[in-house]
Amino acid sequence: MNSTNSTSQDLINSDSSTELANNELPPKVAALSPTEWLKANLFSNTFNSILTVLSTAAILLIIRGLLSFIFNPLRQWSATATNMRLLMTQAYPEHQYVRVWVSLGFLLFLTGISLAFWRAGRRVQLSQVGKRLLILGAFIVLATLLAPFSNRATIIWLIVGILIVGIGLLLKPSHEDKTISSLTLLSGAFLLAILSLWVIPYGHHSYLSTRTPKILAESGTVAMTTKLPWTIMFLVAVCSYFLGSFVREKIDEAKSKALLSVTWLISPLFLLFLVLRDPDFDTRHLFSTDVPIFLFFSIVGSVLLLWLTKPDVGEKGRVISAAILFIGFATFLFQMLMIVRILTLVLAFFALAAPTFSGQKPARIRYTKVWIASMVILCWLITAINTPSTAKVPGDFFIGGFAITLMIFFFTMVLAFPLGVLLALARTSKFPIFRMISTTFIEFIRGVPLITILIFFSVMVPLFLPDGMDLTEIAAVTIAFIIFEAAYLAENVRGGLQSVTQGQHEAAEAVGMTNAQKTVFIVLPQALRVAIPPMVGQIIATFKETGLLAIIGIFDFLYIARSVIPGQTQFMGSTRENLLFVSLVYLVICFSMSKASQRVEKRVGLGER
Amino acid sequence: MTDNETESSIREDRDLANAKEIIVCEGVSKWFGDFQALNNVSATIKEQEVVVVLGPSGSGKSTWIRCINRLEQHQEGRIMVDGVELSNDLRNIEKVRSEVGMVFQMFNLFPHLTVRDNISLAPIWVRKKPRAEAEEQASSLLERVGIPEQADKFPGQLSGGQQQRVAIARALAMEPKIMLFDEPTSALDPEMIKEVLDVMKELALSGMTMMVVTHEMGFAKEVADKIMFMEGGQIVETGTPEHFFTNPTEERTKLFLSQIL
Repeated sequence: MNSTNSTSQDLINSDSSTELANNELPPKVAALSPTEWLKANLFSNTFNSILTVLSTAAILLIIRGLLSFIFNPLRQWSATATNMRLLMTQAYPEHQYVRVWVSLGFLLFLTGISLAFWRAGRRVQLSQVGKRLLILGAFIVLATLLAPFSNRATIIWLIVGILIVGIGLLLKPSHEDKTISSLTLLSGAFLLAILSLWVIPYGHHSYLSTRTPKILAESGTVAMTTKLPWTIMFLVAVCSYFLGSFVREKIDEAKSKALLSVTWLISPLFLLFLVLRDPDFDTRHLFSTDVPIFLFFSIVGSVLLLWLTKPDVGEKGRVISAAILFIGFATFLFQMLMIVRILTLVLAFFALAAPTFSGQKPARIRYTKVWIASMVILCWLITAINTPSTAKVPGDFFIGGFAITLMIFFFTMVLAFPLGVLLALARTSKFPIFRMISTTFIEFIRGVPLITILIFFSVMVPLFLPDGMDLTEIAAVTIAFIIFEAAYLAENVRGGLQSVTQGQHEAAEAVGMTNAQKTVFIVLPQALRVAIPPMVGQIIATFKETGLLAIIGIFDFLYIARSVIPGQTQFMGSTRENLLFVSLVYLVICFSMSKASQRVEKRVGLGER
Repeated sequence: MTDNETESSIREDRDLANAKEIIVCEGVSKWFGDFQALNNVSATIKEQEVVVVLGPSGSGKSTWIRCINRLEQHQEGRIMVDGVELSNDLRNIEKVRSEVGMVFQMFNLFPHLTVRDNISLAPIWVRKKPRAEAEEQASSLLERVGIPEQADKFPGQLSGGQQQRVAIARALAMEPKIMLFDEPTSALDPEMIKEVLDVMKELALSGMTMMVVTHEMGFAKEVADKIMFMEGGQIVETGTPEHFFTNPTEERTKLFLSQIL
């Protein structure tokens, strides 16, 4: 193909090779001067000119209205500032608060290392940065002129705006080759913000939750308990990034990336149930019950799985796995510890999946290791949840506010995703009974509003539970979220499953793969790739839907902003300020998720066509 | 060339008359709805034999070849592959499929895996080979089909001819006793057909049992031991290439040959 092409071109251009060189680049389009640009884009004819003038006026009015709302002296922004801790973690005990910072610090540490390992961030041209700064500075100047500031504030903000414009002008003409990492820019912005905590007198606000709650509002910079931890958090993130890029060169990258991903999945559980909840372990019970159960299951399970993953086990293995599954269900008929029931069912699942992952010794040992690791996590988690917390707070849960929003979101995502995949597989399965159950479930859940399901789970389900079984409201609500999101995710995954061609199924069958192997290795990887964009949309929607928690009376971010703070005597009627702050936080997070997903989509598309 | 000569002597040393019958079809019939795609097809194929199936489109060639590893199910008759009868028993089907390699018209490579992983996936998980051994085998197979340098690319980055050669390597990685080819060159640009046919010739010379559905008359003439001509779901005529191309007995065969030659 190439050779024929080049010969035909050679024939045409045989005597003018210089022309060919010129033709390789498209002709440069001359940049428009500002007046030309205005004329071409905004004032091309009378009608467009009228539209331009009207919409500019509308935009200016909106900005002015917003600014005069925000900077009105009647606004009680100190209501938000004073209650920041309440908004973020509700009434987490003051003397244990370091646990919150340790958790946040660990997550930031993971973030830093991950950014380094995945080589996040891209090169941005300095001239582009200049352009953005120019626009930002101009906007600040415009806003300052529109806002009802005092003279002093107007002058300060004008100087800030002009400074930014100046930097922008300075950077704009730089050469195309001069670039800067977007991570450097981001950390620079954070550094400025944190430095400002130490320098600018934002005021010293705090809400002291003593027996008679006191509110503190002094002038000066923010409290040491705020600025010091944040500075440390910033340093942790930056240092871990450099640590990551230093270590990256020295170790097996693929393996450590896998390890990091698993850590991301597991660490929230540890942070929540070990660090934040601070369970009060009972040593005697631990060594008399929990540890023996763990040892029994991991040893017996390992021996069993080592045998089941032998390639030549055959029919006997399937019979034994089915028997374990049967025993697992039978345990619910008798009085026994919940942990035994759960672990038996998990063992049955591992045993049934064993033939798919069978193989030579290394493969079998790897499978057994996965089993032991899941035992460690499951046993520890169940024990921790069953142990009372030392964080004594009003209400039945130890944390609230933004933290509970994040927690429910995390559990929903981690558990709804596999459930959704299973539902989608069941709905496309050959077995009519699976298809029927899954279709009914999905259509039922999708036909009912989320708020109905939430109310049902928080009010009705605890009444239906059998004696001796107890479900906290938070757990019930999380389950409601999980089944709701799973039904929607299942439909997204089903779309992906349908995009896998018949030819792929046939090719996998033709090399002798079993149905399970075909699904795991061929169908799902391709289906999930296709399903990423709709799934990300669903994830963002889920995050926003956590706001519904406020309606059923869980002390989440929105509930505290809407009902708790305006109830404090000093801050009567400060609902609007708090709601504006809450919506800003939601906006920032959802916008970043959607931006990040665009990059993931691009990256996963690689190697596809 | 010397390599080819020794291999062709292996081919001439074959004793087809006394070879084992490896595929036996007896009265195989299949319907798609009311349309009868296969009508009482009976044939045997011996070990190391190369059979080319010719015929106009819609004559049931592809359906038949797909019945042999049960990508389609026949409704009447019997199909025995290497002594195992194809039935609804899942274990038999999996056994037969791991003995029979299949190459498709549209390649059907796994787009999310590299060429190396495409080839080594089934040996690792179906044949339970250690990963290192399977990857080594993948490299040597890529060498055999002439594209050792493409191992780390994704299928989408290869040309059609290269993709089809990877597909052949993927089928060979299972060390099959029989290879089925379902119009392996029909989706290729003309200049890529030869590279695929060369690989297939080499395979035939090495003594592989092959069943090929194709429209490549040159390949049929040169490589086939036996040509089967199908029309309307039936085998109309069976014979050696010389017999088939120079002296066909059936009217329908003559008509077909007159249309394509």
